[in-house]
Amino acid sequence: MTLTPMARVGAVLAVCLGLAAMGLRAEPGSAEELADRGLALAQSGDERGAADLWQQALAVAPDYFPALFNLGYMHFSAGRFKDAEPYLKRASKADPRDFNGHYLLGVAAQRQGKGDEALRAWRQALDLQPDQYQLMQIMAVEYGKGRYHREAAELATRALRLRPDLEDLYYLAIHACREAGNLPEGLRIAEEAVRRFPSSARANFELAWHLQKEGRFGGSLPLLEKAIALDPTYEEPHFFYGDWLVKQAKYDESLGPLGKAIAIRPDYMPARIAIARALMGLKRWSEALDALQEAVSVEPRHPQPHLMLSQVYFRLGDRERARREKETSLRLRRENPSFLEAVQSRPFRD
Amino acid sequence: MRTGPQDGKSGLARHAKSRALRAEAMWPILALPLFAALLVPTEAIAQGVASANAQPVRAREPSGLPWRAQFTDVATEAGLDLEFTYGGAETKRYIVESNGSGVAFLDYDGDANLDAFLVNGSRLEGFGEGKAPTNRLYRNIGDGRFEDVTDQTGLDRSGWGSAVCAGDFDNSGTLDLFVAYWGPDALYRNNGDGTFEEIAGRAGVSGEDLQWSAGCTFVDIDRDGLLDLLVTQYQQFDLETAPPPGKTSNCEWKGMPVYCGPRGLPFGNVTLYRNLGDGQFQDVSESSGVRDVREYYAFTAVAADFDGNGWQDIYIACDSTPSILFLNNGDGTFTDFATETGVAFNEHGFEQGGMGVGVGDFDGDGWLDIVKTNFADDYPNLYRSNDGLFFEDICVRAGLASNPQYVGWGVDLVDLDNDGWQDIFQANGHVYPELDSQDQVQETYRQSNLVYRNLGGEHFEDVTALSGDGLGQARSSRGAAFGDYDDDGDVDVLVMNMGAPVTLLRNSLDGGGSWIRLTLRGTESNRSAIGALVSIEASSLKQTRAVLSQSSYVSHNDLRVHFGLGESDGVDRIVVRWPGGVEETFPGVAGGQDWLVVEGSGEAAALP
Repeated sequence: MTLTPMARVGAVLAVCLGLAAMGLRAEPGSAEELADRGLALAQSGDERGAADLWQQALAVAPDYFPALFNLGYMHFSAGRFKDAEPYLKRASKADPRDFNGHYLLGVAAQRQGKGDEALRAWRQALDLQPDQYQLMQIMAVEYGKGRYHREAAELATRALRLRPDLEDLYYLAIHACREAGNLPEGLRIAEEAVRRFPSSARANFELAWHLQKEGRFGGSLPLLEKAIALDPTYEEPHFFYGDWLVKQAKYDESLGPLGKAIAIRPDYMPARIAIARALMGLKRWSEALDALQEAVSVEPRHPQPHLMLSQVYFRLGDRERARREKETSLRLRRENPSFLEAVQSRPFRD
Repeated sequence: MRTGPQDGKSGLARHAKSRALRAEAMWPILALPLFAALLVPTEAIAQGVASANAQPVRAREPSGLPWRAQFTDVATEAGLDLEFTYGGAETKRYIVESNGSGVAFLDYDGDANLDAFLVNGSRLEGFGEGKAPTNRLYRNIGDGRFEDVTDQTGLDRSGWGSAVCAGDFDNSGTLDLFVAYWGPDALYRNNGDGTFEEIAGRAGVSGEDLQWSAGCTFVDIDRDGLLDLLVTQYQQFDLETAPPPGKTSNCEWKGMPVYCGPRGLPFGNVTLYRNLGDGQFQDVSESSGVRDVREYYAFTAVAADFDGNGWQDIYIACDSTPSILFLNNGDGTFTDFATETGVAFNEHGFEQGGMGVGVGDFDGDGWLDIVKTNFADDYPNLYRSNDGLFFEDICVRAGLASNPQYVGWGVDLVDLDNDGWQDIFQANGHVYPELDSQDQVQETYRQSNLVYRNLGGEHFEDVTALSGDGLGQARSSRGAAFGDYDDDGDVDVLVMNMGAPVTLLRNSLDGGGSWIRLTLRGTESNRSAIGALVSIEASSLKQTRAVLSQSSYVSHNDLRVHFGLGESDGVDRIVVRWPGGVEETFPGVAGGQDWLVVEGSGEAAALP
């Protein structure tokens, strides 16, 4: 939100006046009248006065939706999400048919890191507007953050069915399907994305990625090459091309594409790790050391470069440094588990 | 009433009469900037190399080469009639019911026939008087059949058995057994007359009551010719304090309440006992440094000279924690260098649910490689050793990433078709029997075992479907032992199955290559030659294997070292690095038979 409530009052004031002229003036002292006066004050820039009047309106009618909503919205617009939340919650109860009450309540909760509460509110909003594909997008993202991957995938693919003309929706759905472990569906969507957007580097890359995941490396390589040709500044095709070469032990050949990926995006840690792995595979230990130390300087919290440094130092006979790097890696692993999420064999996580 | 910044109107609500307008009009104004903010994280996420769940990597096109190893389950006709007991059949309340046990192929009576020892479990609710199941020893009577000799050998103990390892710890010429338990462990000294005596308490190796020992290996740590003993403890497990199923986030599997653990339960540790040579062992866990490693759930232990310096090292597969590689410092101490050497994690640095370990030389470079099985939604590891100090996990490249749906347990690098390349057998089975009575999760408790053929030391091919009807069984398997029980020149497989009969997979190899089998006997080294590294050269092919006290999943293989020879009809030479550190070269021998290789003798002797 770029505009404060106070900055947006002028036009609404005119509307209010118009409505008043139409004979909609409320009884003096009624919740409605107090709320309207509050609105006028808000529109004139007197936020505190407006809030007082809306509170008075609530004293008269505790469930009066406009006062509740406006108080919530006033706090929300100022970024005071914690203050906004109780009013928006009451507003949603006061008028459960109001889409925006639920929606804003969800955003306020989400901004406070309460993803589950946000999703609860947004689900109610979505019930009111079941074709609201934009809401589906943000819900899919939030579901994904909460590791409700199946729900995220369901919503993302539903949004895509509503708007198959929007390219970004394909990638959201692909991402969600991947996280949900539904790679066949992700592959199907990626194929559709390439059909609809053949000159999109991203679409070609996504399809290549899915083919690689299926072990169809041969099929993936032309797509990666096409993605690179379409957008040489897109780092991921370079990385996955290089990473495939590392996996094939074609370490020498991998250095080029991996180097490009890093040049485009210096903080691209998977590429930095892969290039170090290639150098280790080539037994170019001192270069591997340099690559890993550079990776550490780029992202000191990542445990993997330290783990690999311990291997390089060990190979070079420096067991003390190897031990120190191992300990650093193990500590970082505990401190920053998100860097190493995935392929967990067991679900048991503390 | 509620419109947006585009037309300069406020988002504030007026009164009830304008609500309908608000809902429709406000959406784009509020939504777009919020979407922009919320979508940033997703767009910024680069696709890493790992996903939340390891997906099957499609296998290469089939090689089309014939696969001649054919397996048939002959357990019943061979007289192996044990149906294993291990916790609840339909549901398991505690983790102690789930991990199963190991099995052993060994020649306990020295008649050159391979006998079978099966470690059994128990049930939480117990049994009536005299009804408790026990471990079983089956004597091979030489015609492809076994007889149950448990009662007369003194091995009829009940309880929650887990692991077995064998070795001649008193150098008496007969194989002794160590059996690990949840509860006090058992050390069975072979009396040489067909009976065993349980001496764990007297020898000082029985452990503690609540200690859940899960792996063991005899190993000569100090090259004094006496086998020492390492025992891994999976956990300290107490039914009084263990949480019930579904209690915490550590007690769910894909939304389904299941038993808790291992995460959240007390870690185990590693115990090392030094053999004093008088029937007593001394606990040297602290002084040897093996207790310096903490917070592990340790399973299978494999002792071998991984770094080629003549001293025995120990690799331990760990569940949900990094695996351990104790390198022997040569002074009675060990240091864990699993991380530094690249065998603690997978190639992306993730800890895994390690279960079983196979050790061999799949690429014929003379260095011992490691295959480790892991939990479901993950790949096994194939750690290729470059020089004993630097391992690479090449599982995906090698073609072993096509079956991540299985929970892997018993495993070995073993030449099943005698072509001179070590193949892989992997026993599988999930830990949650509840999976078989639901349809939410596409997984089953009972799973097929797997066979991968080694294609020239570069790549493995899944040949399970070509390996005979014995591989078609779906059971929840755990331990597996490898050996030629019927002496027909190919390797058979003995498999433990949870709550089900034992499987004996008889390999009827049709038209495979030749083979040799070496029985090693130490003189300066421990008599059973445990820890010896044997290399043969046949034509241009070099093969290396180690004599192991434990491998696979907490199991013990035939100590005789089997080599397939492919087209060769013999070997050009045999090189043994004895566990005492001495390397000895023996002249070549003919294929198709057994040879006795005695330390210091200079020549292999044909066995009848």
